[in-house]
Amino acid sequence: MSTKPKILIVDDDPDLRRGLNLRLRANHYDTSYATDGFSAIAMAQKERPDLIILDIGLPAGDGFVVLDRLQQSAALSAIPVIVLTARDPQFNRERTLKAGATAFLQKPADNSELLNVIRATLNPAWPGTVGAS
Amino acid sequence: MSDQHPHVLLIEDNPGDADLVRLRLVESRSDVDVRCVDRLSAGLSRLSEEQPAVVLLDLNLPDSHGADTFRKVLSKAPGVPVVVLSGQDDEELALKAVHQGVQDYLVKGNFDSKQLARAMRYAVERQALITSLDMSRRQQLQFKDQFLSHVSHELRTPLTCIHQFTTIMLDGISGELSGEQREHLETILRSANQLRSMIGDLLEATRAESGKISIEPRCLVAADVIQQAASMMKASAQEKRIGLEAAVDTRIPMIYADPDRALQALLNLIENAIKFTPFEGSVMVKACLVEADHDFVYISVADTGRGITPEARNLIFERLYQDPNSIDDSRKGLGLGLYITRELIRLHGGRIWVESQLGHGTVFSFTLPLFSMAKLLKPVIAVEGRLRDSISLITIELSPLLASSAGNWDRDRRQCLQLLRSCVLPDKDTVLPPFENSNGGELFLVVASTDEHGAKILEKRIREQLEHSQELKTGCVFQVATTELDLPSQESGESIEQNVQKVAGVITETAMLKLQRTGNSNGHAKNIGNLAGQQTIEGRIL
Repeated sequence: MSTKPKILIVDDDPDLRRGLNLRLRANHYDTSYATDGFSAIAMAQKERPDLIILDIGLPAGDGFVVLDRLQQSAALSAIPVIVLTARDPQFNRERTLKAGATAFLQKPADNSELLNVIRATLNPAWPGTVGAS
Repeated sequence: MSDQHPHVLLIEDNPGDADLVRLRLVESRSDVDVRCVDRLSAGLSRLSEEQPAVVLLDLNLPDSHGADTFRKVLSKAPGVPVVVLSGQDDEELALKAVHQGVQDYLVKGNFDSKQLARAMRYAVERQALITSLDMSRRQQLQFKDQFLSHVSHELRTPLTCIHQFTTIMLDGISGELSGEQREHLETILRSANQLRSMIGDLLEATRAESGKISIEPRCLVAADVIQQAASMMKASAQEKRIGLEAAVDTRIPMIYADPDRALQALLNLIENAIKFTPFEGSVMVKACLVEADHDFVYISVADTGRGITPEARNLIFERLYQDPNSIDDSRKGLGLGLYITRELIRLHGGRIWVESQLGHGTVFSFTLPLFSMAKLLKPVIAVEGRLRDSISLITIELSPLLASSAGNWDRDRRQCLQLLRSCVLPDKDTVLPPFENSNGGELFLVVASTDEHGAKILEKRIREQLEHSQELKTGCVFQVATTELDLPSQESGESIEQNVQKVAGVITETAMLKLQRTGNSNGHAKNIGNLAGQQTIEGRIL
């Protein structure tokens, strides 16, 4: 069937979810979404996405809880996570990266930057990296 | 202090004067212990063990005289009230002491028990007031910081929606647009961009105020920073048909600055210049060296705007300052940009100033420190006016496996730096600030005061540490190499400075060779040029 990469969007704001969904689909990604920490883990187990875009401020288990659960699960710990949050990078960037996130972006993120990070994360051997040359 | 009986620390070397003070205290029936010492050193060590209610301080002691005496006490115990016991002919000095933080003074032999008790009581009260004011000021700053951090978070969420859906429409994801619709949407996006940068400035300004901005200096090519800033501002200059030019003296050596912060400062100035320059004017960015000052590069941004009045020149770097005479039809902004810029430059140890003549444009100038390898090396490789017997150089080239700009690379290279610092001996070895190579990787240099054999041992330790780190092992590739340096002959009568300079030259050369080998012929400039290119192609960046 479809070979498009699957991205799980985790955000409690419906408008942000819808916007990100449109943007990602327009760039040929398959998407699914979750609205809180608890269902994020459930969706990750069910969908086995190639990538998760994760907000920090979430009901029923915030982003840090989600990162923790993902890390603890043998089946899910390999899924890369991009944290996309309105929170202050000064207090959150290091912390999320330490908790296992692959990248940290602050909202509003520039579209091209977000898409570049997604591409690089999904495909570590993307041309231009040291590993490929 | 609260669980101890309050006591007075009397620092007085004259036994007669000390007895007199004790007598006055007994007369005043104040319920305090007096602990007396006759040397400043003894007083200071008492102060590090216990906190008295008041210090009574004679300024002329066997081991300290005059202003030094009270300054040392104040800096040792900043929260403890001090009353100076002054000689008859010393009142001037005592007054000076009061201006610099001492609570009060009494002239020896000239006070009774009531005056002594009152001076002590008031000193305690005033000190408590100062302490509580200071504390509430700090609490206010912290509250402001938290409040703004919270507000900025809440403002960013709706702003993200505006940005996302505006760009979705502009990118044609939701269908074709008419020319007019496109124009309106571009206006929305511009305003959203403005809002975002204002939110950022608010946070930055509060942080600057509470000293929370930190910089991480690195070796940079000044021309790269200027070129990057110019290419990022090209589009907004073109909108007003303003000629934006950069002239950089090619002889400028590497500078020592935080790349993001230096860029931010320069962008602020260029943005301002464009804002206050009329259509078809020009903005010129220059970097040069100054004969009289070998430690700094001088960077200036000159515009052909209408200039600034002398009154405004004095206020322009203050927070929230906006030019009241601005007849410009663009929006004013928050008045935080130049304040933040000044703080960023100050953090680098540089300075910033403005020159302007009404009607003849404005020039903002600032300085950033030049990188001096010799200055960093000297304390490590020179002892007693001679070079060490052998000096080795270990190079560590670290490159990211994943070309992710936002992710772990930043963390990894910092971790590598920390790790190297933990491997070396502080007074014999040093880790130089890292160089960036054109692959986006990093070159670290460790200078060790040892021969090849010792350096190999250090190299092994570094290797083991790097391999031991899970993050570095999975996210990066690294290469480590060691060479013992050929040292200049020290019998030829050259000064230690000249010899250190020579070693610095050899190390710089090695670094440049490594940077070229790992990169392509254009080195730094190419890499930064590419980045800047990406950013200008994508015209709609928040």
